[in-house]
Amino acid sequence: MARKFVFFGGKGGVGKTTVSSAFGLRCALDGDRTLLVSTDPAHSTGDLFDQEFDDTPRAVEGYDRLDALELDPEAEVERHRLQLKRELGAQLSATMVNEVDIQLEMAHRTPGAYEAALFDRFIDVMGDADEYDRVVFDTSPTGGTLRLLALPELLEGWIERLIAKREQSIDLYEKAAIGRQTPRRVREGDPILARLEDRREKFSFAGETLRNDAVFTLVMNPDTLSLRETERAVGSLEEYGLTVGGVVVNKVTPAPEPHEEGRGARYLRDRCESERERIREANDTLEVPVIAEIESRVRDVKGELLRDVAGKLRTDVVDDTGTGRSATGDSDQS
Amino acid sequence: MTVAERIAAYLDAIERWFGERFGGTWVDEWARGLYHGMISHPAYEKIEIEAEDTEDAFLIACFPDAFGVPSPVSYYTAELLPYLQQEFAAWERRMWDRQSVFEAKGRMHHHI
Repeated sequence: MARKFVFFGGKGGVGKTTVSSAFGLRCALDGDRTLLVSTDPAHSTGDLFDQEFDDTPRAVEGYDRLDALELDPEAEVERHRLQLKRELGAQLSATMVNEVDIQLEMAHRTPGAYEAALFDRFIDVMGDADEYDRVVFDTSPTGGTLRLLALPELLEGWIERLIAKREQSIDLYEKAAIGRQTPRRVREGDPILARLEDRREKFSFAGETLRNDAVFTLVMNPDTLSLRETERAVGSLEEYGLTVGGVVVNKVTPAPEPHEEGRGARYLRDRCESERERIREANDTLEVPVIAEIESRVRDVKGELLRDVAGKLRTDVVDDTGTGRSATGDSDQS
Repeated sequence: MTVAERIAAYLDAIERWFGERFGGTWVDEWARGLYHGMISHPAYEKIEIEAEDTEDAFLIACFPDAFGVPSPVSYYTAELLPYLQQEFAAWERRMWDRQSVFEAKGRMHHHI
């Protein structure tokens, strides 16, 4: 059974957007109703398809069964802040609002707010994806994103403890009220518990979906730094209980023709040699298969070129959770 | 039987006993007052103080960043603020100034 949610990760500049868009396109060409989700603040998915996208799914022109949306975490943080501000203002005097306001502002200005907002939108998209067979996420290059996907359990545990504490204090208030008085807090209809339980449910859904119905693909370039980075990423994702399907090696240098000589050709040959070495190393040392190798292009990958890259990607191997070393045969060069 | 039910049953028993013996007389009223002042009120107050302490612990777990400790959940717990405004503001004042005289006075004249 194919996993529905496919996340592409990797350092900035390795070509995540190209590879994930090509992968989404490939799924759509193969007949899956596909949603491509970009979190890149530079909105390069739009550039790739020469079309503007926004926060709601929109059909990609020129392709059947392919929708795309671009998440804007900054806008989401702001929306969240304004909504809470409205809720606050609706029930309180100005002086009191002021004090609470500081906390509200602070919570939306911490570095984690961006990730929290992004994660919230991920959960929304995952929970609202019934009409799609595949949802492909192009995660933003910040290291925080992948780490955040590992967080639902931690967050769930935290919320769990908050719920327990709240229940404990309500219980005590109820006991204190036994002397014929109205308790200051009651369990029934407590808005705090309701909110916390709602949150817990969301995190638990996210954790379950990410563990059971999602697969991660890492994009790397054929150099030592990128290989080390990928090794670490594979390790930590698996440590979090997430499934890594494989690695796509992008921007592989094309080899010169055998008759070609001269400085340029010699440089390219050396370079190709060292890249082959890195790819061999990746095959040997990574715990997951290299599922595709994609050559560098001179021009931007768009239109026909994107179809071409899409042709190099197989959509089934990512489900083949780490067992299919044979998948490495799917290389451009062979 | 929960603790609450047991206490309620106990109170009922006492009440019945007083009712049977001194029902409607001044002794009934006097004894009730004495019982409330010496036993029941201080006991409930203790529980209530415990409840407040637990609530303080809840608030600090929700908003550790109010005291400079970064929290991965503060974005989410901010959603509780509209419902916690009174508690939050009072808690923050208490936490910043635990030793205040008013705080101690407040404790002495603790009521609902």
